[in-house]
Amino acid sequence: MSAIMDPATATTRTFVEATEVWVPKDGRLVWSSGNYGALDAFAAVSEEKSFGKGEGLPGKAWDEARPVVLKAFDGSYFQRAEAARAAGLTSAVAVPVFAGSELKAVVVVLCADDDQRTGAIEVWCEANGLLMLDDGYYGAARHFEWVSQHTHFPPGQGLPGGVWAANAPMLMRDLGSGYRFIRADSAGKAGLTTGLGLPIAVPGRQTYVLTLLSARGTPIARRFELWNARSSRSGAASEAALADGICQREGPLWNDEHERRVAAWQGPIGEVLGTGLPLVKYDTALLTAGYASMVALPIYRDGTLAHVVAWYY
Amino acid sequence: MQRLVVIGAGMASGRVLETLFETDPDAFAVTLFNAEPRGNYNRIMLSPVLSGEKSFEEIVTHSDDWYGEHKVTCRFGEKVVAIDRARKVVVGEKGEVPYDRLIVATGSVPFIVPVEGRDLDGVITYRDLDDTNRMIEASGRPGSRAVVIGGGLLGLEAAAGLRLRGMEVTVLHLSGHLMDRQLDEAAGYLLRKDLEKRGIAVMTRASTERILGDTRVEAVELADGTRLEADLVVMAVGIRPSVEIARAAGLAVNRAIVVDAQMRTSDPDIYAVGECVEFNGTLFGLVAPLYEQAKVLANCLVGKPGSFSVRELSTKLKVTGCDLFSAGDFSVGEGREEIVLRDPSQGVYRRLVIENDRLVGAVMYGDTGDANWFFDLIRDGAPVAAMRETLIFGQSYQGAAPLDPMAAVAALPDDAEICGCNGVCKSKITGAITSKGLTSLDAVRVHTKASSSCGTCTGLVEQLMALTLGNAFNPQAVKPMCGCTDLGHADVRRLIVAKQLKSIPEVMQELEWKTSCGCAKCRPALNYYLIADWPGEYVDDDQSRFINERVHANIQKDGTYSVVPRMWGGITSAKELRAIADVADKFQIPTVKCTGGQRIDLLGVKKEDLPAVWADLNAAGMVSGAAYGKALRTVKTCVGTDWCRFGTQDSTGLGVRIEKFMWGSWTPAKVKMAVSGCPRNCAEATCKDVGVICTDAGYEIHFAGAAGLDIKGTEVLTQVKTEDEALEMIVALVQLYREQGHYLERIYKWLKRVGMESVRAAVVDDAEKRRFYFERFVKSQETAQRDPWADRASGGVASHEFRPMAEITFKEAAE
Ligand SMILES: Cc1cc2nc3c(=O)[nH]c(=O)nc-3n(C[C@H](O)[C@H](O)[C@H](O)COP(=O)(O)OP(=O)(O)OC[C@H]3O[C@@H](n4cnc5c(N)ncnc54)[C@H](O)[C@@H]3O)c2cc1C
Repeated sequence: MSAIMDPATATTRTFVEATEVWVPKDGRLVWSSGNYGALDAFAAVSEEKSFGKGEGLPGKAWDEARPVVLKAFDGSYFQRAEAARAAGLTSAVAVPVFAGSELKAVVVVLCADDDQRTGAIEVWCEANGLLMLDDGYYGAARHFEWVSQHTHFPPGQGLPGGVWAANAPMLMRDLGSGYRFIRADSAGKAGLTTGLGLPIAVPGRQTYVLTLLSARGTPIARRFELWNARSSRSGAASEAALADGICQREGPLWNDEHERRVAAWQGPIGEVLGTGLPLVKYDTALLTAGYASMVALPIYRDGTLAHVVAWYY
Repeated sequence: MQRLVVIGAGMASGRVLETLFETDPDAFAVTLFNAEPRGNYNRIMLSPVLSGEKSFEEIVTHSDDWYGEHKVTCRFGEKVVAIDRARKVVVGEKGEVPYDRLIVATGSVPFIVPVEGRDLDGVITYRDLDDTNRMIEASGRPGSRAVVIGGGLLGLEAAAGLRLRGMEVTVLHLSGHLMDRQLDEAAGYLLRKDLEKRGIAVMTRASTERILGDTRVEAVELADGTRLEADLVVMAVGIRPSVEIARAAGLAVNRAIVVDAQMRTSDPDIYAVGECVEFNGTLFGLVAPLYEQAKVLANCLVGKPGSFSVRELSTKLKVTGCDLFSAGDFSVGEGREEIVLRDPSQGVYRRLVIENDRLVGAVMYGDTGDANWFFDLIRDGAPVAAMRETLIFGQSYQGAAPLDPMAAVAALPDDAEICGCNGVCKSKITGAITSKGLTSLDAVRVHTKASSSCGTCTGLVEQLMALTLGNAFNPQAVKPMCGCTDLGHADVRRLIVAKQLKSIPEVMQELEWKTSCGCAKCRPALNYYLIADWPGEYVDDDQSRFINERVHANIQKDGTYSVVPRMWGGITSAKELRAIADVADKFQIPTVKCTGGQRIDLLGVKKEDLPAVWADLNAAGMVSGAAYGKALRTVKTCVGTDWCRFGTQDSTGLGVRIEKFMWGSWTPAKVKMAVSGCPRNCAEATCKDVGVICTDAGYEIHFAGAAGLDIKGTEVLTQVKTEDEALEMIVALVQLYREQGHYLERIYKWLKRVGMESVRAAVVDDAEKRRFYFERFVKSQETAQRDPWADRASGGVASHEFRPMAEITFKEAAE
């Protein structure tokens, strides 16, 4: 672990144990990048794998063209169940990244259940003009899980409804107050503070909203960044401006007077702009803002790269 | 050390202090008063605090530590009540402080609409953290409703924040489109659509009459009587510079505190900065110029040179997902040209206004990627002729060849979806063209279904045909409606219905108009199509009508007007004639004439007399004869069985019945009718748009005659037996024409275009269809039969149209 990190942040465990990126190659999904922390054996198994359409968790997200939550591996279609059990991993969420109808990648986050780690990774989708919970992984936040299953959001309301209506990522600071009352109350009790919401574009008209809700004790990430890609009409995004961001150590990252910008291929965000693919980086503190690792995810709208969202932990 | 006292710890004075401490930290001992119980924070970011996308801690600009470090004596939560210039002291609520130099930076206060109920609990403005917290608290009650008065920047940010927090929100805006000071109608439309997508209700042209409630707000009542339940009312209609203490101290104050280019007031030891100042007649409401002022002032305090000047400003809205930008002056005017780019599928609108080879204004919605570049071009006044062709595409296009749409279509992959409605991909279309040898759009529609539903992809399909067939493709030449679009009237009408387009800006955006707000050809046409297709829903746009229809009278060559009251079926009475005579006398109307349509025309009425003339005619029971309109004008009749020896039916009765049933409806072009009681045809029914010839056997329904520039006898549509059948047939026929006719296309031209067979198929051969058209007409009459004279004579609707010219200009300038 990096020496720059302060002891307080270094000792708390994060909600997500591993993150990996799968990309299509010759009709199959192959491993592209990933961070498994100390889970070397699981990493070794994963790097060797590939998935056809419909195979395993990444293949299912590809085939069904939607984010998939899997809360138990044993007896499921999850192909690396044995290695996962050995590594203590219990659940996973797979998120497909589509540019129009073209699959760019599948990002999989893997979590380990215990009775301390709270947080939430949720998938919301529209039904009859309302956003309903499709599925979610909540760790130890059981009450919040139950409340969320019984909550729906009209367009424009709350983090899911807001992201859905704006068709843009949002970073909420204070989940414990305000919107959709009972859920907010429960979020406050579960210690969930920061919420990142992302529109997940898939072919067809359906839009999914993915939310990552982070608790102070077991954060999903310690730094979040939302970048607006300035895609020119020729297609590829040439540059991005930091629209919002917070960091446990640096505080607010946004600056309404002088926007921070990166050009394509500059640093990890620039790499995402250039390749159009998600990215996982670790063990290079310089590129990961002093944290152990970072995930950067491109958000597409109408087939073009519209935003890049990054989280660091 | 000199003593510097600052009144107001806002954004402007905060920047003064920062710059001052950077340049000369020991120059002054500073005392800082602030009415708010806290120091300087980034006020503009209150909106994301309200929405939950920022925390207040994040937007604090100067912390207690910062003030401590710079040895600022903070008197927060203490209002300054007076400045005693003679003794050079500032009087705070808790005591006096002497100054050597003084800065007034009191900002502004929100303007409160002076309506009944404005003092009720729950009615608030939006200016500071306390207001923000009040809104957050109000949104915490389940099911609570907010009404935001004001659809400008502040109001919309409040609305979006409250909505995100879970409230039901309605925005009321006085003018015709949102953010009308910063956006044009087209961008205003897209913004509205985006907000409505968030579940926010938007009401334009909505004037607040009063706020209701005992001690707490319960509802808002509009001028038109609409009542909106509300638990919270946010007023965001503008600001007023905060100048009371400056004025009381005898400083020069105009609309705000007058300063020179060094931010000095009329007292050389007193400066002012921020929204409370007026410089060269200009007031300020955005931070960018305030920061410039702050820099100049800080330098001035330490004896460094500098002077403030007013520069172009730009606007953005801080609502996540609403990407808009506007800068400069984008009003239309002589010598100005505009470049417009629209992409309906992505909700993109861009408009540039060019004058003398310089970019002078820009409005953008949906894709603001190049905003800064355009803003620089405006500020620098750089010549743009060399990049004129590609300017609208933005910076990355400069030096590149203009976009070739064919190349883009050629580059599409085979599985690219072309027709979204029917799910037809590129290869299916190109395959069908080659394998089946299709050469016309209609054939492609039949074989592939592409472009056969809403028709939005027609252009793409035609490009694919051109690509595949090369020279063998001969596109059907469609005459465009006008220079603003490539679409013809028929396509526009079809798409209005297919895509459910319900306002002029919506049509223009979704159908990719090439101009920002249309022209004198397309606007009246669109206005008519929308009235005809969405009765009761579409609000007539007066500005899209020609003068005659706007003032409901015909303008004459000397600028006076002619007035024709309706005389049902040509029948009048002694009472009506007396009223007409009285009106002619009273308003000294020089000419009174009988018309060919059996009406009386009062010629030479002064514009400002029109409402009074109408009021008098209304009082005698007469309504507008619509002699100015693309509408049912007259039903001329002969005297029929009541008086005539040859009469076969009650032609007068039928004429009156038709006119009473059909008046008020708008049509593509004027409609004149007649009913003759026998084949001798005294009412000349056989040269009218619609005519009836009564016979012993019943009624012969004629239509498509003309007796103007063209002369043409009518065609016989059909024969019916009863008066009821005749009425139903005529109404169905006119409704069909209303739905199919091109604007300004008379019935005979419409018939020539669509053919007798299709008209008969719709209204004669199929009773069910006929009934359907009849009922649609009846439905539209529910809202159409309003006498425009009565509306205007009462002074309610469009009364400004009727004031003499000189007064209009004066009034508008004063507003
Ligand atoms: C919600 C909101 C959103 C905005 N968004 C934008 C935006 O996106 N872009 C933009 O450019 N601008 C925006 N503005 C406008 C911008 O905030 C103002 O232009 C700016 O704050 C004005 O700065 P100022 O220092 O003149 O006044 P202020 O920041 O208002 O500071 C004046 C201070 O003086 C204090 N004061 C007044 N009278 C007295 C007295 N007698 N004694 C002691 N203290 C006194 C007040 O309490 C206040 O703290 C927004 C404003 C609001 C409210």
